[in-house]
Amino acid sequence: MNPNHNPQSSDGGRHDDDAALTEFLASLMDYTPTIPDELVEHYLAKSGFQSPDIRLTRLVAVATQKFVAEVAGDALQHCKARQATIPKDKRDRQQKDKRLVLTMEDLTKALHDYGVNVRHQEYFADSPSTGMDPATRDE
Amino acid sequence: MSNGGGKTGRQLEKPSTWKRKSGADDFAQAIAKIAVAQLLEGQGFHSFQQSALEALSDVAVRYATSIGRSAHYYANLSGRTESNAFDVIQGIEDLGYVQGFPGASEVDHCLEDSGVVREIVQYVNEVEPIPFVHPVPRFPIVKDRKLTPSFLQEGKEPPAEHIPAWLPAFPDPQTNTLDPTGDTTGAEPHAANGKFDQEREKNKGDWSMLSSQQQIVSGMFEKPTFTYLDDAKAKKAAVESNPFLAPPLKVGEKEVAPIAPPAPPAKLFNNVASDNPVARNFLDDKSVSVLETFTPAIEAMKSTTYDSGEDQTKHVLNEKPTVRFKIGVRNKFLGRSTGLSPEKEHQKTLPWFAMEDEKDDRKRRAEKILRESLQNPDQFVQL
Repeated sequence: MNPNHNPQSSDGGRHDDDAALTEFLASLMDYTPTIPDELVEHYLAKSGFQSPDIRLTRLVAVATQKFVAEVAGDALQHCKARQATIPKDKRDRQQKDKRLVLTMEDLTKALHDYGVNVRHQEYFADSPSTGMDPATRDE
Repeated sequence: MSNGGGKTGRQLEKPSTWKRKSGADDFAQAIAKIAVAQLLEGQGFHSFQQSALEALSDVAVRYATSIGRSAHYYANLSGRTESNAFDVIQGIEDLGYVQGFPGASEVDHCLEDSGVVREIVQYVNEVEPIPFVHPVPRFPIVKDRKLTPSFLQEGKEPPAEHIPAWLPAFPDPQTNTLDPTGDTTGAEPHAANGKFDQEREKNKGDWSMLSSQQQIVSGMFEKPTFTYLDDAKAKKAAVESNPFLAPPLKVGEKEVAPIAPPAPPAKLFNNVASDNPVARNFLDDKSVSVLETFTPAIEAMKSTTYDSGEDQTKHVLNEKPTVRFKIGVRNKFLGRSTGLSPEKEHQKTLPWFAMEDEKDDRKRRAEKILRESLQNPDQFVQL
């Protein structure tokens, strides 16, 4: 089952790792990940993953949850950092601190560290001639 | 939003009125968005931008899919079809190499002892589980297919010796054709749309019970493709090969929903806006007079010339259909069209498109409204 065996650790050590993993997988059944099992199963099935073991789907769900949580945490830090640097007086900042909004800007920066490059539109215009000089605009 | 200057001014659509085309994965994407929103809330965000949520949920879905793909790949590499825990751990590791995890650089490390596993264990121990808010059913729902029974199952003998008995049996001779020659196999028209094929399959059994008269009547109301069959055998060949080449139906043969012809006004709207903003104006909170809305369109229509369908438009404008309609929130209107015979022919060749394409349907409704206002410029449409 385990093709890589570490010559450094003793047999006892390996059994410990075995036990730790099996214990963890068992504990996964107690932990309910936020990402529902059915959703994860759907996407795993789509990708060709086949396993009768639900603990593995739970493992994937938890791994995804951890990933999203980390990205969200990084984005939150970016957001807070941006708020801290805005030169405003204390009264305004108090009000602004209460609204932590996930923006594309923060998300892009956070995801960049994870190797995901997201590009988004800066703004959308009404028509191709919006903002142009009225004299030159096509009527 | 401010209008652009001059005649080409138009209103922007509100995001709430945008109707995206539904995709196959919409349900799963929606669930993923809810789950990610919950996680964001758990992290401390108070709100989020829609586009940011969609982007993050898309990334999360791809993450899970990627783990699945890698796990499947590693299982296949080891000569297995089913993945086990180590394949999954290797899959997670593969994605973790970008950010890095403790022990990533060790070439020969034990997978059980992997840094990713330790980090996940740490995460599970630290964080309170946030259960998903809604109960999620198992999806996608697999429908039971009623397969056509084979010759063997029906106990019948195949009509010719070159037909093996394990093939599905032929339908009853009186099922679809009203043709005196009684050709059983080739009588069904080839529907351009696969959907109609499936429906036809399901209803094959029921159809054999109906008499030919009943079939015509039911066909008129349910399955537009079958109405072609009530013509003589002279048209059978055309029907068999290509429904678009079939002769047009007479007036009153088929019930059609009252929709305006897909004439040049569609082109105009395409130039002016992306997605039928005229109809959406009615969903605005502020009441906008129809005439104001259509003034640019009317003026443009009067000035520009069209190549195709011009005669049709003129024909339409000359008539005065008695249509009463009411625009509701969902942009539906009830109407009865009378005396629209010239367009009916044109419409009848497009049943598939009319049914499939929501956008076209709305465009036609908007054109109908436009016609109404053109004929009664003083009369405002009741919203």
